Amino acid sequence: MNYNDIEILFAEDSMDDAMLTIRALTKSGLTNKLHHVKDGAEALDFIYCKGAYASRDIQQHPKLILLDLKMPKVSGMEVLEKIKSDPDFKSIPIVILTSSKEDPDIKKCYALGANSYIVKPVESDNFFQAIKELGLYWMILNQPPIK
Amino acid sequence: MNRKPKILIVDDKPENLFALRKVLKDLDIELIEATSGNDALKATLVHDFALALLDIQMPEMDGYELAGILREEEKTAHLPFIFISAVYTDNLNVFKGYEKGAFSFITKPFQPEILINKVKFFIDKHQQEIALFELNKELKNTNKELESFSYSVSHDLRAPLRAIGGYAKILEEDYTEKFDSNGTKALHSIMYNSKRMGELIDDLLAFSRLGRKQVTVSEINITTLVRSISEEIVAEDVERTIEFDINILPPAKGDHSLIKQVWVNLISNAIKYSKYKPKPKIEIGAYHKDNFVVYYIKDNGVGFDMQYYNKLFGVFQRLHSQEEFEGTGVGLAIVQKIIYRHNGTVWAESKLNEGACFYFSLPKINP
Repeated sequence: MNYNDIEILFAEDSMDDAMLTIRALTKSGLTNKLHHVKDGAEALDFIYCKGAYASRDIQQHPKLILLDLKMPKVSGMEVLEKIKSDPDFKSIPIVILTSSKEDPDIKKCYALGANSYIVKPVESDNFFQAIKELGLYWMILNQPPIK
Repeated sequence: MNRKPKILIVDDKPENLFALRKVLKDLDIELIEATSGNDALKATLVHDFALALLDIQMPEMDGYELAGILREEEKTAHLPFIFISAVYTDNLNVFKGYEKGAFSFITKPFQPEILINKVKFFIDKHQQEIALFELNKELKNTNKELESFSYSVSHDLRAPLRAIGGYAKILEEDYTEKFDSNGTKALHSIMYNSKRMGELIDDLLAFSRLGRKQVTVSEINITTLVRSISEEIVAEDVERTIEFDINILPPAKGDHSLIKQVWVNLISNAIKYSKYKPKPKIEIGAYHKDNFVVYYIKDNGVGFDMQYYNKLFGVFQRLHSQEEFEGTGVGLAIVQKIIYRHNGTVWAESKLNEGACFYFSLPKINP
């Protein structure tokens, strides 16, 4: 499989949340190629081209990482820390997905370099709002210009 | 921690140690002997003592000097002492560091009962300290557990809820034509209830967080605060004509965000429960009583039956049905918790269908 044209890396362990999120995004016209991984370890494999992603071109960065915080094995926080402390990858925007806007982890995430956060359920509105805040308009091809 | 309390006895003369051992033989304690200051210091490295009995006249290092050194050491800084002296000396002031821990003084020849009593007193004190320490540890653990519990609540309870709400929405968006009116009704019930469950979780978390929130005290201009809250609320709710009558309110000392929360909850309640009145009127005022300022907020709404007053401030307690007045039953519990944390009290009075008046008191700024 070719992973080199993936624009959005989406890490989420809950199949329900993943399905509902992807549905919300495609329904509102997001056509970017999105790849879903089931935990933090797989997300890191993807970025660092290891394991199942060994054949991927490490120079091809996704344009955005959507990262759930609470995942088994390697948590979202650990993925965030690793990527944001790596000079090769820290410029990739990371949007954190959390269950609660009161989550004390949000603060920690910003300290680690997270670019934005979205409270689940991921509605297309708050997703595009985050995209807008990050100035990633160009990423959304089929989306009407955001006012 | 049910081991016998250990007591250090220090005297350069073995016969004196023997005498002390004899006097204290009936107490449920373990005696550790030392015949010099150096021996005593070594013993403190190995044992945790509840008390030290120190002879004052000893060669090389006397009792005061030894006590002074023990006070400097972290492990023994708060160890209580009983000084034992053969001659009555009034030079207790040579002992530096007495302010750090308890001590007592006894002269030889002493009455055994007096020494026994003193020792008992210090042992009791020591055991109370241990009990307090253990209790404190337990409380800290419980608090930690509670924190991880609310973390779980906020994350794990929400996950299935999101799925329920999400899939119900899919049914609503893509499969409506397949439902008859009963099916649609059932679907909307699912959506409404999952949303409500989310609100309950949010409120429960907000309530439990209150107990842990650090209170930062500053002087608050209550008049300004209340005016801005009521203006905000009125602006949100255009079609209704609520009449606000806000008197001059004395300032208060407290945590700004928490006190604001109290007013927001009380004012929103007053509005909510007077929504069926043709002319809602809310009066806010204050008066002084003893060393407190009492603030009140009075509405002409539906009120409540004083018979159920004891449920009014309880968590998840409601005196009205969800159909009549929506809510989770946490607002007043939050108010009460905040006011308690500010050393005030909160109470209310009402007549059914004639309105309610809520009062809360806060300590005066300059009593």
